[in-house]
Amino acid sequence: MQLPDAHGYLDRVIGELRSLNTPQKSTLVSVLEYLSDHIRATRNEIGALRRDGAGNQMFSSTTDELEEIVTETARATNRIMDAAETVENVASTVGEPIVANVLMTAVTNIYEASAFQDITGQRITKIVRSLQSLEEKLASLASAFGPLDGATSAEAVREGDAALLNGPQLEKTASSQTDIDALFASLE
Amino acid sequence: MSLNKNMRIVIVDDYTTMLRILRNLLRQLDLNNVEEANDGDAAYHLMQKSPPDLIISDWNMAPVTGLDLLRNVRSNPRLKHIPFIMVTAESKTENVIVAKQAGVSNYIVKPFNADTLRAKIASVCPATV
Repeated sequence: MQLPDAHGYLDRVIGELRSLNTPQKSTLVSVLEYLSDHIRATRNEIGALRRDGAGNQMFSSTTDELEEIVTETARATNRIMDAAETVENVASTVGEPIVANVLMTAVTNIYEASAFQDITGQRITKIVRSLQSLEEKLASLASAFGPLDGATSAEAVREGDAALLNGPQLEKTASSQTDIDALFASLE
Repeated sequence: MSLNKNMRIVIVDDYTTMLRILRNLLRQLDLNNVEEANDGDAAYHLMQKSPPDLIISDWNMAPVTGLDLLRNVRSNPRLKHIPFIMVTAESKTENVIVAKQAGVSNYIVKPFNADTLRAKIASVCPATV
């Protein structure tokens, strides 16, 4: 029996119980009504998690964004390290020992702080895996609920200025400054 | 074209790091007369006291966004003439169109570099020869 069937079955049982002339029925009816309402609410929530029906996976954009964070922080960290290495090379040629020490200490601090990328990268990768696992479980649950045509996600109802706030685009789809300049000029 | 070193610039971003980056890049351009705000509301109050020569603002901020700030500035007779550069990660076509319609002077996509910042400032501040 699928969950939509269970929901309908519960409603029928509740109706039949109500027609009975039994003093103990009210507690049982209350429990079954609670179950029925809970199934309905859960079904709507699962439906809201599902995308637009175009076959997109529920958390695919989220995991893409997280993976993009790892890529971007790695890239930025590499540039920081490049710059720090340049400073380190210059520091080694500075004749004044006090200045050279200050520069070397600063470079060391940069190296130490740059470890954040490795740590955050591992954490994000772990989150991505958890999301992918959760996505599989939710997909199974959503499948058990059957068709959820009436449900819509909060993402789908954003309108006006709110619909323009999407944050950074993924690199593969983002507009470059050159693209923006061309567009901007075309609007003059 | 050299920039007017004395121009007063208001930079607006809810990320302290980005304010720091902007301030450092502006300092490298010898633009040191810089004031900071963390959202559109704070920036608007700041510039109502004394109109700046240039506004450089992020878009995605709360509670008052950069777009809200832009519209507020353009609807204020005392402020509407001030060049306004949007510096944002919002790079969709519709964003640029909406910002342009709201009166933005130029548009920079994050991440950006010092050359782009300098070029855009020079393009919207023609008096700074």
